[in-house]
Amino acid sequence: MIRRRPVLSLLSALAMVFLLGPILLVVAIGFSSGDTVEFPPPGFSLRWFDQALSNASFQQGLLTSLLVAAAATLFALVLGIPVALAVQRRTFRGHKAVETLFLSPAIVPELVLGFALFQQLMVTMRITALGALLIGHTVLLLPYAVRVTGASLALSDPALEEAARGLGAGPLRAFFAITLPVMTPGIVSAAVLSFLTSFNNVPLSLLLKGPGISTLPVEMLNYVQFSYDPTVAAVSTLLLAATVGAALLTERLVGFNKVFSR
Amino acid sequence: MTPVVQLDAVSREFAGTAAVRELDLTVRRGEFTALLGPSGCGKTTTLRMIAGFLEPTAGRILLEGEDATRLPPERRNIGMVFQSYALFPHMTVEKNVAFGLKMRGIPDGELRTRTGEALELVGLSHLAGRKPKQLSGGQQQRIALARAIAVRPSVLLLDEPLSNLDARLRIQMRQELARIQKETGLTAILVTHDQEEALELADSMVILDQGTVAQQGAPREVFRAPANRFVAEFLGYENFVELPDGRTVTIRPEHVEVLTSESTDSTPSDGTTVDAVLTAVRFRGTDCVVTAVSQGRTVLATSSDFELRSGRQVRVHLPAAHTIDLPRTKQELPTS
Repeated sequence: MIRRRPVLSLLSALAMVFLLGPILLVVAIGFSSGDTVEFPPPGFSLRWFDQALSNASFQQGLLTSLLVAAAATLFALVLGIPVALAVQRRTFRGHKAVETLFLSPAIVPELVLGFALFQQLMVTMRITALGALLIGHTVLLLPYAVRVTGASLALSDPALEEAARGLGAGPLRAFFAITLPVMTPGIVSAAVLSFLTSFNNVPLSLLLKGPGISTLPVEMLNYVQFSYDPTVAAVSTLLLAATVGAALLTERLVGFNKVFSR
Repeated sequence: MTPVVQLDAVSREFAGTAAVRELDLTVRRGEFTALLGPSGCGKTTTLRMIAGFLEPTAGRILLEGEDATRLPPERRNIGMVFQSYALFPHMTVEKNVAFGLKMRGIPDGELRTRTGEALELVGLSHLAGRKPKQLSGGQQQRIALARAIAVRPSVLLLDEPLSNLDARLRIQMRQELARIQKETGLTAILVTHDQEEALELADSMVILDQGTVAQQGAPREVFRAPANRFVAEFLGYENFVELPDGRTVTIRPEHVEVLTSESTDSTPSDGTTVDAVLTAVRFRGTDCVVTAVSQGRTVLATSSDFELRSGRQVRVHLPAAHTIDLPRTKQELPTS
């Protein structure tokens, strides 16, 4: 294999080094016994994990992040699935325009979106930081919800629901017995992608945070601005472990390939 | 007896364009009707209106004598087989076939019996536990049929059911379909663009052209006496000839006789005989198709005389028994 395609093999190896190298470096530093970020680490210890887990602002940030990611994912799906259905079936004039509207948050720079929402929600309407974060992240996730569930619908046979209707199922029953189960892999994919997108987001959260309400990535960013110890590396390692765990779980539930190929 | 399906001047427009125009159709109990025509003739639109997936823009649809024009599909007691089969991918074969019975609230025991019977009818009882993806195209087709039949519909609607199968399987399934319809005595409406399929299966065929009936009748009748050029062309008549007496006739290539000086010297006493020259000979195994040109008119004929070559002088005989008069139309030259 290597002998037959030397250039391809070399490029693959380089890609692996550039992709995985920095990540492995961070993991290594997370287990360091030193006082600053240095490589190679002087020794092995778990003290930075201890430090990370007992940090109050990280604890609060994690809680907020999980809450916002979960709630925004739910809202985006509840709003996005009907849009995907309506757009996919072309039941009305201007379905293309509606689709574009719902995909537009992915095109607008997040800082611009964040600033606009900050101005409208927090300054003008005086909505709390948590409320603003929920609304902002929901807007951010809508394109993923509409696109990914829409893609799974586009792949399914439009005659399925008609077949159910023809066999005696009313519109609601046909939806819950046939359409929804057929969409499930798409919905799970959209949920996983949405959750990760929200959980990793910085620009929106940076603008929409408030006193005592901030997300984990924002807290991590704050932390590295003032301290240069391996605490953030330890947090990153924990996040990495959680993400890999989630990916494996998704793989077991619906098949990882399905999540990203849909 | 009340017809099972009756269409009363049914029309359907799409954005101002008429797909079906004032169509009348009557389907009697136990009858196998084929809606036949090229794509865009309105046959699928008609079937979808009977099923309730589309509402007519004008006219009435009666099912079992009752007005069903505005009835949703789930209240029509139809059994539909889709071109794509539309088997539910997340359910087993058995669950697919049982779906309609479940929707009708049939109790468990009877549901199982009837599901089993339907699967047996299509000969696939052994696949009850499989998922649709694990089946071949032909098997999926049969399951779709079993699912439609299990509910004992008042009419079985078949939307190009065989068009996704390969040629051999299609012919096999055609016989299978005929057998199942006979055994169940179901009333059926088949939409197809394949004239052979309609000729073989249907008791009655309706040829549609631009949303209206071009001709309707028993297959033998229609095939022997196409009413106009559209129907004749659709049924594979390839010669359209203006005779010296001014009539326009059509004749199938296999009925045209090619006479050579070796085969006969006498001129047939019936029909029309003209001198012609062969311009092309295509070998097809059991016969050849020859193109004969006479005074600028082209006639296609089949012949089992394998000595025929291009450039040969022949006489072409159109036997009276096989020439069919057509009403005069503007365009009278053959298309070939």
